[in-house]
Formats: sequence, C-alpha cells, structure tokens
Amino acid sequence: MYWLKKLGAMLATLLLVSALTFTALYFLPGDPALLILGTEAEPGELALVRAQLGLDKPMAVQYWHWLSGVLRGDFGRSLTFSRGYSVARLVVSALPVTIPLAAAAIFFSLLLAIPLGALAASRPGGRLDSLVLTLSQTGLSIPAFWLGILAIQFIAVELGWLPPGGMPKWRADPGGAALSLLLPALVLALPRGAILTRIVRAAMQEALGQDYIRTARGKGLSEWTVISRHALKNALVTVSTVAGIQLIQLLAGALVVEQVFSLPGLGRLILSAVLLRDLPLVQGGIFAGAALIMALNFLLDSTYPLIDPRIRGVA
Amino acid sequence: MQKLFGLFLAVILLAGCSPQAAGSELVVAIPTDPDGFHPHQSVAAASAEIAFNLFEGLVKAAPDGSIIPALAEEWEISPDGLTYTFTLRQGVKFHNGRNLTPEDVVYCLTRLADPDLSPKARDYTGVQRIAAQGNQVVITLAQPDAVFLALLTEFGASIYPKEVEGELSTKPIGTGPFTLSAWEPGDSLTLAKFPQYWNPQLPKTDKIILKIIPEPTTMVNSLLTGHVDLIPRLEPDYLHQVEGKSTLQIIDSPMNLVQLLAINNAVAPFDDLRVRQALNYAVNREEIIQGAAWGKGTPIGSNLTPAMGAWYKDLTAQYPYNPEKAKELLAQAGYPDGFSTTMYLPAPYPLHRNAGEIIAAQLEKVGIKVRIKVIEWADWLEQVNRDRDYELTVVGLTGRIDPHTMLNRYQSQSGRNISYFASPEYDELLVRGLAETDHEARIEMYQRLQTILAEHAANVFIMDPSQIAVMGRDIQGWSNYPVYVLDLAPLSRTE
Repeated sequence: MYWLKKLGAMLATLLLVSALTFTALYFLPGDPALLILGTEAEPGELALVRAQLGLDKPMAVQYWHWLSGVLRGDFGRSLTFSRGYSVARLVVSALPVTIPLAAAAIFFSLLLAIPLGALAASRPGGRLDSLVLTLSQTGLSIPAFWLGILAIQFIAVELGWLPPGGMPKWRADPGGAALSLLLPALVLALPRGAILTRIVRAAMQEALGQDYIRTARGKGLSEWTVISRHALKNALVTVSTVAGIQLIQLLAGALVVEQVFSLPGLGRLILSAVLLRDLPLVQGGIFAGAALIMALNFLLDSTYPLIDPRIRGVA
Repeated sequence: MQKLFGLFLAVILLAGCSPQAAGSELVVAIPTDPDGFHPHQSVAAASAEIAFNLFEGLVKAAPDGSIIPALAEEWEISPDGLTYTFTLRQGVKFHNGRNLTPEDVVYCLTRLADPDLSPKARDYTGVQRIAAQGNQVVITLAQPDAVFLALLTEFGASIYPKEVEGELSTKPIGTGPFTLSAWEPGDSLTLAKFPQYWNPQLPKTDKIILKIIPEPTTMVNSLLTGHVDLIPRLEPDYLHQVEGKSTLQIIDSPMNLVQLLAINNAVAPFDDLRVRQALNYAVNREEIIQGAAWGKGTPIGSNLTPAMGAWYKDLTAQYPYNPEKAKELLAQAGYPDGFSTTMYLPAPYPLHRNAGEIIAAQLEKVGIKVRIKVIEWADWLEQVNRDRDYELTVVGLTGRIDPHTMLNRYQSQSGRNISYFASPEYDELLVRGLAETDHEARIEMYQRLQTILAEHAANVFIMDPSQIAVMGRDIQGWSNYPVYVLDLAPLSRTE
C-alpha cells in the first residue's frame, strides 16, 4: 500500500510537470515552423509546415496527442533539432553524459570535503581550520563558467593534458569519454565540495561533542579510530542528505558547465530544444529529468536506514 | 571509495591507448545539428551545407557562382526559354547501390513542385511538365524563368531514390561523394567516402567527422589543441585567438551575406524618405566593419554583394558617411532635434548585435536616440520577421546564386518584405527580369533594381561579412562558395 501510494504520487507529479511544461511552452512567443523556415518564410509555407508538424491543432488536442503517445511508450519525434529523430533516443543518448558527470562531480566533492572537513573539525579554531574555511569560502565564490574557461585554457590548451571540450561516445572510446568528463566534473566538484566541507565540519563538530565519543575515547581508542569509525559515520547522515540534493541538482542539468565544455548532456539538450521551441523534445527532456530526480529521491529515502540504524523501523 | 577511485584512474589510463583509425581522416567543427536531410522538408542552412556532400541535383554551383554539370552531363534550353532538356550522366550510382534513372529525377522534381507535399514548392510554380525521355529529362515551363537553372542547384532539387522516401531525414541516400555513415545528434556526423562516386578523383579523404561544437571558444580551443582540423565559419570575435599561430592558416573570403539595418518603411518617421536617407548618411560602414567584424567585411550599398559578380552594382558611394548631411535631412523632415526609436537585435548573432550597438552610437551623434532590445531568435522571427512589428533591426540575408531570389523579397506584396518597401517600378522590373532571356539585358535590369533600393533608401545596407575559415597549415583543398555550402570532397591533409 505504501509503495502504491508512493508510485501514484510520482505519476501524478510527472503528469503535472508535463502539463505545466506544455502550457508554458505553448504560451511562450516563437513558433517552431518559423524557426525552421527562418528569414525566408512565406505565409503559405508557414501554414504547410505548421500542418506537417501538427501545430495547427488546438492546445488541448496537441497535449492529448502527446500524452496518449507517452502512454503507449512513444515520446514523439523532434520537430527541429535533428528532425526525424525520436525524442526517446535523443534523451536517452544524453543520459550517459549527464549521469556519470553528476556522479563523478559528487564523488570528487566528497573526496575533497570529507578529509578537509574532518581535519578542520578535529582542531576547531586552529590554523588548519581557518585555512580550510578560507579555502571553502574561495571555492564557493568562484563561478563555474569562469573556472571552466580557465581550466580549459590552462589544463587543456596550454598544457594539453585533457581534451578542451566535447566527448566521444562511451562505446567508441571509453577512455576518451572518461577523460572528457574529468575536467568538467572537477569544475563542478569545487563549489559543491566547498559547501560539503563546511557541512562535514559542522556535522563532525557536533558528533565529536557527543557522549559516545567521550566513551570511545575513554575506552582508549586511537584518535584516528574515534574520528573515522565513530564521529564520521554519524556525521555522514547529514552529509549524505546535502550531497544527495546536490546530485539531484546536477542531474537536472549542469547546464553552464555542459555548455562551456560542449558536452551533449541533458541540460544542453533541453536548452537548445527550448530555444528552437521543439515542444516534443522539451517535454521529453523535462519528463526524463523529473523521472530521474524522483527515482533518485526515492533511492535516497530508502538508503537512509542503511546509513543510520536509528531510522530503521520508523517507516 | 578507494576502489572506485582506482577504477576511475584505470579508465583514464586506458584512454592513452585508444586505437588509431586506418585511412585518412579530417575533423571539421560545426556549431549545430542539421534539421534532417529530406531535401523537400529540411530548410536549415546547417543541413544544406552538409547535404552538398551527400546529394546532387542535375546541376550544381561552382565556387565562382557559375552553374556546372552534376547528374546532368549537359543541358539545352530552347530559344523561347520554355523547354529544358537534361542529358543524364552514365553510370551514376546511389549510395544504396542502385543506378540513377531518369525516372528518379522525374519523381523527385515532381514531388518538390507539389505544394501539398513540399514547403519549397513556391519556387517551382511555373513548372508545367517533367518527363523522362530515354536518357534525358525534359522540363517544360509555363513562362520563361531565368532563375530556374539556379534553383536546380539548391539542396531542395537533390535527386534520391524513390524507395528511401520515408527514412531520408535521418538516413540520407544520394549520389554525392560522401555517404552519411553515422549521426549522433548533439555530438557528431561521420561522412565516409562513397567509393562508387561518378568522379573517381573525389573525395580526397576517406572519412570526415563533423563535430558539433556550439561554443565558439571550445571550437577554437579544440583547433588549437589539434582535436579539430578545420573551422569553416569562425565568429570574427574569436579571430585574435588564432591569428599569428604558425600551425594555422586563416582563409577569409566573401560570404555573400547581406548584413543590413532593416528599416520599417511603413511607420513614422521612417515612412519619410529623408529620414531613411539621413540614417544612411549617419551610418559609418567602415567603423562597423572594423568594430563588429574586425575588418573582415566588404561594404555594400544595396541588397546584393560583390560575390554576385556581374550582377552586382557598387552603390557604396550613394551615401558616404556624412553626419552633417544627416542632420540637415532630419531637420528638413521636421526633426531638427532628432527622435527616439527602438532597435531589435537577435541574441544568437554577435555580429549583428555588435553592429547594432555601433549603429546606435552613430545615430546618437545625429540626434536619434536608439533603445536597444536584444531578443531571442524565436522572438525575432515572430515579432520582426513575421509580424513586422518593429522600427529598426539588424540581420543578415543569406545569398543565393541568382539575383532574383535575393531581390524579389522587396516586391511590394512579398511575404518576406520585412521593410514594407513599395515601388511600382521595382515590382514591374522584377516581372520583366524573370522573363528576360537575354543575359546582358537581364544584368542591366537587376543592376537597376539595386539602384532603386539604394535611391529609396529602403534600408541601410551595411556589409558582406567575410567567411573566416581557419585550418591547420597541412590542410589543402579549401574552396569558398557564394552560397551556403561546405565542399568537403577536395579537402585533404598533406603528408
């Protein structure tokens, strides 16, 4: 019953999201037929192209047409962007960019945040602590696009260590694909890692003040064991919540970084679809993004009990 | 977590030993995906420039703007200009292995001219009959149409085998020097040499990868790091990043694009000829070319560019830069203190945006206050291009190889006449120009049309921006066309 309710709520959300996107796009000025014909458009041709694309029908009919297609598993075809390609295929081809990019970014930010945050918390007010706090303040203030451009200039162009943008297909060149994601993932990781460092530090400080830490120390455990096994484990509950939210944001599209590094991810796909008023593609892209986010949320909700035994049995 | 990191490192290390592809290969950067490859449906310039390498029509355009044989080895036009007889080249094969037949030509061109199926049919309303006759195709027109042959060079008039009709958009099958071997939307298109191409000399390279890179900075960086061999169209704003590099060559040539400050002739105060002339005197073209195009452009005085050869008439002397004269004309028109107006600029085109900003500053000097509104391309097309609800705008009009298709947008009733230009003499001359079969007489008429546009100050015609191609020094075979195509077949890398 609980699962059914959850599933029902997810489907209702998806329906609402799709209806909202559709309405917003419908009332947005601009017309895919106009974009297709450009400056050479004559009224007669416009009418023909609009009819070919099914844009001459009333809004409710267009939405129903789309929705009934989705129910049959058909997300329609792109109107402008590589016309003729199925929306499902375009959206699915963006996922192997967006998902690993988001995962790698969060991975790197945790890699940065956990040791730094724990270190800072172990000697609050110390020199290391203030250094970490200053660094995280700096990391937070650097805009991603600027950092991206700088990283491309130095690491890719001057030093030639990594590709300056674009990404080969995983199956064609898996190594090259991973390399292409490294720099953008690091750029995304920096500000997120900076936030996480502060979260880790705060959570650790709180954990280190708990009674069980005193007990652990009293048992004569080494400081390393106390921090890594007892304090960190408890602090991770808070950290994983924030990291989860960050991951969700990244899945919805790391648009700026995708644009700077020319990565064919979901954010860029949706942006170009909006600029081209490619209704089915925008619908499909947003739908996929929303579904992804909900699935992840669901997954995160079910992992809390694994990290924190206290939550077990409550649900 | 350590394991995960180790895995990531391992994947990265693997990258060092990716396999080398056999055969010659070039990587060309393009900014966007095509909008499909059905010759009758696709209308984006991005599609036509790639399709030039996949498809052919009966005839095609040469780099000098002349019309040369393609699938038709030769053709004959009857003295009355009504009957065109094309003799097909022997032994031409489609990419699916089938031989080209006259029936394929009849099928494709008939469908192209059908207004119920093809958005491009309006150009072919004069076609009366298309018939196969042995190895020939005979096309009969209702009245002489001097543009007809030029139209047959365009992407729309490509010939494809009838049996692939349904899938053509994503799986183009033509007779061109390359086949489309892969298309990953948003990522790349891969063109492979078609070994049975009728001209065994072409193409020179086995495989060409067209990499889609929307960001000009990334495009330039990819070229600098050797991930890309050639950028066919570089935004002038990025020129300084590639200039003076010993490994690169920069080839700039006329693009045949009419960049103009379009004026809505139907609204006050621009319905007054003196005001429009004042704008023409107030605009300093040289400054725009330097400021917006980094010096890479040719000033123009009417709606054709020097790339059009004999058709072009140089009218740049009609309105030399003269702000005093502009003020005088404004005063005569009743605006001694100038006036305020709005200029819409299309966001995705930095060249037009920059030009618009420079123009606004120039107009300010003669007392015209310009409020600039930068709008999205979709909004521009709707508000300015379709509804003509604007006063001033800066845009570029793509060149064709025949002057008629460039100039007929100023016909008073034309759906593309965004300036609301109206002149009975102009309309009448357009009709006569189309029917004229004598080449010299026709040239004279089209030069007169350009003069009328300039005399009436229909718009401020600014420049033909140069197409800036940047490529490695080892790349040869680049050729520039006065139409929007990308000729990949002659390109190769010197060893």
